[in-house]
Order: sequence, then structure tokens, then C-alpha cells
Amino acid sequence: MVKGEAMLQDYLPVLMQILIASGFAAVTLAVSVLLGKSGKRNAIKDSAYECGMLPIGDMQPRFSVKFYMVAMLFVLFDIEVVFMFPWAVTFKDLVLHSTTAFWSMAGFAFVLLVAYVYALKKGALKWND
Amino acid sequence: MPVYSLEVAVVLLGLVLLMMEAFVAGKDKRFVAHTALLGLGAVLVGSFFVDRTPDASGFWSFYKADGLAMTYKAIALACTMLVIVLGLDYIPVLEKFTARVGGHGAWGEFFCLPVFICAGMMWMASASDLTSIFVSLELVTIAFYVMVTFMRRNVGSLEAGVKYLILGALSTGFLVYGFTWLFGVTGQTNLDVIAAKLNSGTVATVPAMFSFALILVALAFKIGAVPLQFWIPDVYQGAPTPITAYLSVGSKAAGFIVTTRILQVFLGSEALVHNCTAILLAVACATLLVGNLAAIPQTNFKRLLAYSSISHAGFLVLALAAGPAGAFGLAPGQIVAYYLAAYLIMTLLAFAVLVVINRTSGSDDLNAFNGLHQRSPFLAFALLVAVASLAGVPLTVGFVGKLLVFAAAVKASLWLPLGFAIIGAVAGFYYYLKVLRNMYWNAPAGGTLPAITLSGLTKATLLLLIAATVVLGVWWAPLFQLVRR
Repeated sequence: MVKGEAMLQDYLPVLMQILIASGFAAVTLAVSVLLGKSGKRNAIKDSAYECGMLPIGDMQPRFSVKFYMVAMLFVLFDIEVVFMFPWAVTFKDLVLHSTTAFWSMAGFAFVLLVAYVYALKKGALKWND
Repeated sequence: MPVYSLEVAVVLLGLVLLMMEAFVAGKDKRFVAHTALLGLGAVLVGSFFVDRTPDASGFWSFYKADGLAMTYKAIALACTMLVIVLGLDYIPVLEKFTARVGGHGAWGEFFCLPVFICAGMMWMASASDLTSIFVSLELVTIAFYVMVTFMRRNVGSLEAGVKYLILGALSTGFLVYGFTWLFGVTGQTNLDVIAAKLNSGTVATVPAMFSFALILVALAFKIGAVPLQFWIPDVYQGAPTPITAYLSVGSKAAGFIVTTRILQVFLGSEALVHNCTAILLAVACATLLVGNLAAIPQTNFKRLLAYSSISHAGFLVLALAAGPAGAFGLAPGQIVAYYLAAYLIMTLLAFAVLVVINRTSGSDDLNAFNGLHQRSPFLAFALLVAVASLAGVPLTVGFVGKLLVFAAAVKASLWLPLGFAIIGAVAGFYYYLKVLRNMYWNAPAGGTLPAITLSGLTKATLLLLIAATVVLGVWWAPLFQLVRR
């Protein structure tokens, strides 16, 4: 096999991912047109929803602190996952030498778990109060 | 038990405290502080009985357990415990400034976060790799951002937090940039390997000096030396008083162990030692001058202690710059450790008195000390001992520290910096002892104020610190042995 071919083969999963992603979007859109009750317009339907604000009001609206809490926790836990990727990639090799790699990640995940329980208990993720 | 189990134990203690704080019902969270004290005390005792011999694993290229590291671990643990005791006295103020409208205060975490800071400082004491230095330093700094702003209904605390955050982030940038240059010229992250590489004569000196300057600026922020000393008075004044004490002692000590280790690398290189020493001496002289002269006109005791903290940083940098000879058989790193242990005792004694004054009068002004002798002769005496030791009066522990620094400077024939140090010490006698006039001679403004009552724990802590200041000022051996381990 030539070198270039082997490299292209590596990208096969990426191609499949692209196909699945666009296929999923197309199917979802098609199904919502087929099954959805279109045509009955009213004021609520025409307003911004899910990720928008009503375009009328103060120039600098005040956001509830809840949004910031969720955003901050999301970023924190997101970054923790980033640390797990390089670990996961090298884990197979590292674990042959010693169990340190396993226990250090177990410790890391344990600290995260405690942090998560703390955030839950303190009501950082509670939306109604 | 291997030595790194100390840090693991402290982190586990912090996690347990966090869970206790969250799950145990009731508004009174004092038990969190008491548990923290017990746990940290156990670790402090344990730190004298751990196995310090390194094994073959790669872990030991990030971690050092020499005598200096163990001394700084003990300093970190002792300092954290004393800060928690101060915090217990400070609860009424915390309650007032953390309460929701018409609700209770939330100060349980005030006793959890210092435990994590302590773990970070213990790692800093052992860090011997650029990466482990950076990670442990950030653990300390990020937790401090939260602690400085802890009183969220107090504008001063918020302002202090913003200033600390912005300058802290800036100095971190300097640190990382310096590290990248150091890595760029040597291709290594372990400090011992870097030192060997810098000494081999194959390294370009100009980029190495550049990295030295950048790292020194960042470390100057941590230890409160010129050129990044501006934040100290404002942040110290705004932060909750126990946290001010923690910044002033714990954070500074942790900064100095990292400074000692990094300077060993640069000062050990023949090509760099000349220029590096010149820069360090300039920093030491400027810090001594700024700290001591700016302290003279202060009327707020907290700001006065802030400038005092800058001036002590000047003495410590001078000790490091004085070269490898040291004094009285102590290496420069050991002199710094000795000075910091002495500084811990006397500074926390002064802050412990300030916490009580602040709680009873709501003010940190020198005028708040008026008539303290009538209100509580014991407190007045405690502060008398503290300021005498800070000024360096003989027969106190502060005197021994200053003596070691001066001896090291004389041995290295640094006459000009010695002149600055003498000016600083003389100015210190004026501004430290200024508070005595308020305590013993000035009458309180609103007639006679009620006497101050102290809790048993506070009294015991004050007595312990007074005894340590006086006894260790006469009988030097215990501290000498501690830093020589």
C-alpha cells in the first residue's frame, strides 16, 4: 500500500462522521416538516424562543446569576474532560509500567465528584427558587 | 509513610471539610474550623515522622523532600492553623458581611479553602520542576482570589479582590513567559537539570537573563517586593483580616521557597551570577526603601503591616542576594527560612490582636488602639511584644532574623545595600513603636470603652505566640535545628 493511501484511510471515520451528522440534521428537519402542525401562527409562536430574548425592554437587561453559575460549572467540567483526553490516549502504554496512571486519574475524578456533589448540594444547579 | 502522603492527607481533609460543611445541618459551622485544626495538627505532627527517601519513580523529578521543603511545609501548616484560629475570632465580622438580606451569613467555606491553600503551599515547598511550581502556585493563588473577596457585602473586600485578581493574572503571565524562555534555552523543565545545563557554558546568556528578569517580576508579586509591590497595601486593607495575615505570612513564605529554588539555578551559573546578583541587590534596596519609608506616615494599622510586609521582603531578598556564604553556618535559603519562621510568629501575633480590635471597634485605624491598655492589658502587652519583635528589638525572635541577614550582608561586603537595610531598620523602630503611644498614652475618643473579653482559644494562642517570640529570641537552638534539618 502506498503511503498517501494509508493516510487517506485514516480520514475515513471523519467522512463517516460528516455523513452521519448532515444526515441526522436532514432527517430531523424533514420529520419536523412532515409531522409538525405548520401554518397556525400566533403571537407566542412568532416570538424568539430557546436561545433569544424578547427584543423589547431595557438596553442593559439584568441576567439572573443562575446563568453564570451554570456557564461557569459547564466550563469547569468541560476543561476537566480536556485533561482526560491525553490521559486516555497514553493510558494503554502507561499502565504496562505501573498502576500510577490509573490511580492518579482516579484521584482526579474523585476530587471532581466531590466538587460536583458540593455544587449540587449548594443548589448551584437549582433553577427554581 | 512516604512524604507525599502529607499533601494527600491535607487535600482529603479539605474535601471532607467541604462535604461536612455542605451536608451537616445547622447554621453554626464552627465545627468545620475545629475539625480543620485537628486534622492540620495531626499532619503537622506526622510531618516529622515521614519517610523522605526518594524511590526510582519519575515522580521525584517533580518533587523534592529536602530539609528546606520540610521546614516550609511546617511553616505552611502552622500558619494555616493560626489563620483558622484568627478566623474563629473574626466570625462576627464575616457573618455581617456575607449575610443575605434578612438572612444568615455563609462562612463555612472560610475554613475549608485555607486547607486547600495549605496543600498548595506544601506542594510549592517541594516543587522542583517548572510545571509543578506553576500548578501548585496556581492552586494557592486561585483559592486566594476567592478568600480575598470573601466578604461579598463589603466594598473594600470586593475592590481588593479585583486588584488582586488582575495583578495576579498579570504576574502569572510574566511567570509563564519566563518559564518558556528558560525552557527555550535549556530544553528542560527540571530545576536541577536546568541548573546543570546553565552551568555547562553551552547556553546563550542573553535569553537566560531575559527569563530571569521575567520570572523575578512574577516572584516579586508573590513575595511583595519592588517592582510589583503596589497591590499589597490595598489588598491587605480590603481583605478579611485573617486572610490578610495569611497572605502576609503563608503566601509570602511559599513565594520565598520558590524564589530560593529558582535563584539557586541562576546564581549557580558562573555566566549569570554577576548580573543576577546586581539585579537582586537593586530589588532588595528598592524594596527596603519603599517599604520602610512609605510605612512612616501610615495611620491605618493594617496598611502599616502591609508596608512592614514589603520591608521584610526587602530584608529577605537581601539575604538571598548575599551569596552562597550565608552566616552562622546557615546557607542563604536557611536564613530565609529562619527569618520567615520568626516573621510568622510575630506577624500572626500582631494580626491576632488586630482581629480582636477590628471585631470590637469595627476599625483598623491606629486610633482604634487608643486606651487599649485600660481595656485589656493582656492584648496591649501582646501587641507590644509583636511590634518590638517586628522592629527587631534584641531578645525577640525578630532580632535574630535581622541579625542573620545583616551578618550575611557583612560577610559578602555589601556595604551600600547594608546602608539601605540600616535606614530601613531605623525607620522601623519609629513606625512600629508608634502604636505604643496609642495603646498606652492616648485616651480613647468616646470616653472609657468597655473591657475586651477573649475566648480561651484566642488567649491560649496569644500566650503561645508571645512565649515563642520571647523564648526563641533568647534560645535560638530549636529554630536553628528546624531550618537545618
